[in-house]
Formats: sequence, structure tokens, C-alpha cells
Amino acid sequence: MVKIEDLKRINLLKDVPNHLLEIIANEAQLSIFGIDTQLITVNDKVDTFYMLIMGQVLVKKELTAEIDVILDYIQSGSSFGTSALIKGSKASYTAICQEPCEVITLSGKRMIQLFETNHELAYYMMLGVARQYKRHMDLRAQMIIKTLDENPELKEDINDIENLTLVI
Amino acid sequence: MVEKDVLKKIVFLKDLPGSVLEKVGAIAQLETFDEESILFRQEQEQKLLYMLVSGKVFLNSRSGSGKSLTLDEVSYGRTFGVSALMGEAVSTFTAICAQTSSIITVSGDQMRELFESDFEIGHTLMQKVVELFKSRMDRHTRQFLNSLATHPEIKQV
Repeated sequence: MVKIEDLKRINLLKDVPNHLLEIIANEAQLSIFGIDTQLITVNDKVDTFYMLIMGQVLVKKELTAEIDVILDYIQSGSSFGTSALIKGSKASYTAICQEPCEVITLSGKRMIQLFETNHELAYYMMLGVARQYKRHMDLRAQMIIKTLDENPELKEDINDIENLTLVI
Repeated sequence: MVEKDVLKKIVFLKDLPGSVLEKVGAIAQLETFDEESILFRQEQEQKLLYMLVSGKVFLNSRSGSGKSLTLDEVSYGRTFGVSALMGEAVSTFTAICAQTSSIITVSGDQMRELFESDFEIGHTLMQKVVELFKSRMDRHTRQFLNSLATHPEIKQV
């Protein structure tokens, strides 16, 4: 169990009404993870949804046997492991604590169970996750646009930006 | 008001039960926009969700130096302007009709009111948005990494 005040520090939960935060608080655990703890492993099933209270988590993916590409640094207030909230979904990255991290965790299996009976909770959680994806997609699109602005000759090589335009 | 048969042509809605389509149809409008009509502009408040029934729409973005870049050509059956659905009303792109287009529009506010009056609908549709966004992000990451892996400088490492 965690305090509602702690949940209110998480961006994804900012519009979640208090009566739903109480349900989440009852299901959640507050954990401390040491530096270099691997929380998520690429291509594995993700069992836990993580909300970072303090610390920093590195998100990476292997490019070659010798090279890893760092995709993101997750900061306090952000969430990760959304695959845990989607049935049959696997991790698309590896997540490692870069420093000691204070993290609120939720069992994905338990949350999916709750979603089946409490659609209000499911709706608000999914709305938060969708907004988070949108922010990431917007950020990537902006980075690509900036790069193309500075290097227009790259335009012909870029064929994947439509993935980020939020057309569904 | 938009009939169920028209809504079923929209990929985002096609699997929904008839009763849900009726509720969406009741708050939706079918409109025709001329070629070069601007539906919404980048960084401006976005209030409507758009579903393309026929025609074509370009999604453009203006860079810092003022150049316009077409990022996507929306074809029929697709939905855009999803920012309105999430209550985050600032648009990321400019949407302009590339030809005369028939488009279903729904107010984002009314759609969210519908979700909040029937959370099961809200859950179903928002989960769909999340799964589509996740799949898009994952695909984009894979394509980005493939491009990097084939870069000559990386190959030399």
C-alpha cells in the first residue's frame, strides 16, 4: 500500500479522481531498487508497471553485440512498463536503474483483472498511458523535423515518420 | 448524426458493437471539405476528432526555420486529430485537404463526455488508442535501430 500523496506525484495519474487513486494505492507497493538493477528485459513478458518517485532509469536496446542504444532516461514522475497493462504484450526495451530508485509498482496481472470489472479505473489509466505515448511520439517527430530542417538531404532516407503522426 | 454503416468504414470504430456506434453517431457530423481546406493548424487548439470517409488529407509540420514538411497522407478509413480525444488540445500538425474530402467530425469534449457516461466505451476505445500508439512507437524504434545498424560507421565498429 502507498500513500495517495505519492501517487499524485506521478504525471500519468494527474487526472485520476481520488476514489480511483485509493484503489490504486491499495494495490501498489513502494520499492527501493539499487543501482544497476534490471527492471525490464527486452522481449520478456512484463509483469510490473513502474512509476518512478525518485532516481533515474535508463531505457536501452541492443543494436549489435557490442553496441547498446540508449533510447531514454526516465525521470521522477514518469512511468514505464506499460506492456504490463496490455494483455499479451512484451517488453520492447530493457530498463535499468542508473542510481538508487524509489519506485511505486503495480502488478500488471492484478491491474488487468481490475480493469475487467472497473472500467472507470481502466479508462483513466489508459488515458494517462495514451497521453504519455503521445508526448513521446511528438518529441520524436519534433526531433526528426529539426534534423530534416538542418539536413534536408536526409528526407529521402526517412520513411518511418508517419508512424509518429497519431493517425489511427 | 452519422449512420452506423458509415461509421463501420472507420478502422478505429469498425469492431465496436452497434449500440456503441449509435451513441458515437449521435454526436458525429458528416461534412464535405474542399481541396486545400485547412482542418486544423499546428500548435493551435484542437477540438475535433476527424475520420476520413473519402478523399485525402495531408498532415504537415512547419519546422523552426519555417519550412513545411508533409509527414503523412491520410487515406480513407483513418482517424486523425486524436489530441482532441485526450483532452490535450494543442495540435502537433497542420491538416489540409489534398482533395475534396468527406470527413466525419466529432467534438473531443462530447466524445470524452460519452466516455465518462459509459466508461466501458471509454476503456475499449482508449485501450485501442494505447495499443495502436505502442505498436507505432515500437515499429518506429525498430526502424530507427535498423537504419542505425546499417550505417557504414556502425558497421565498422
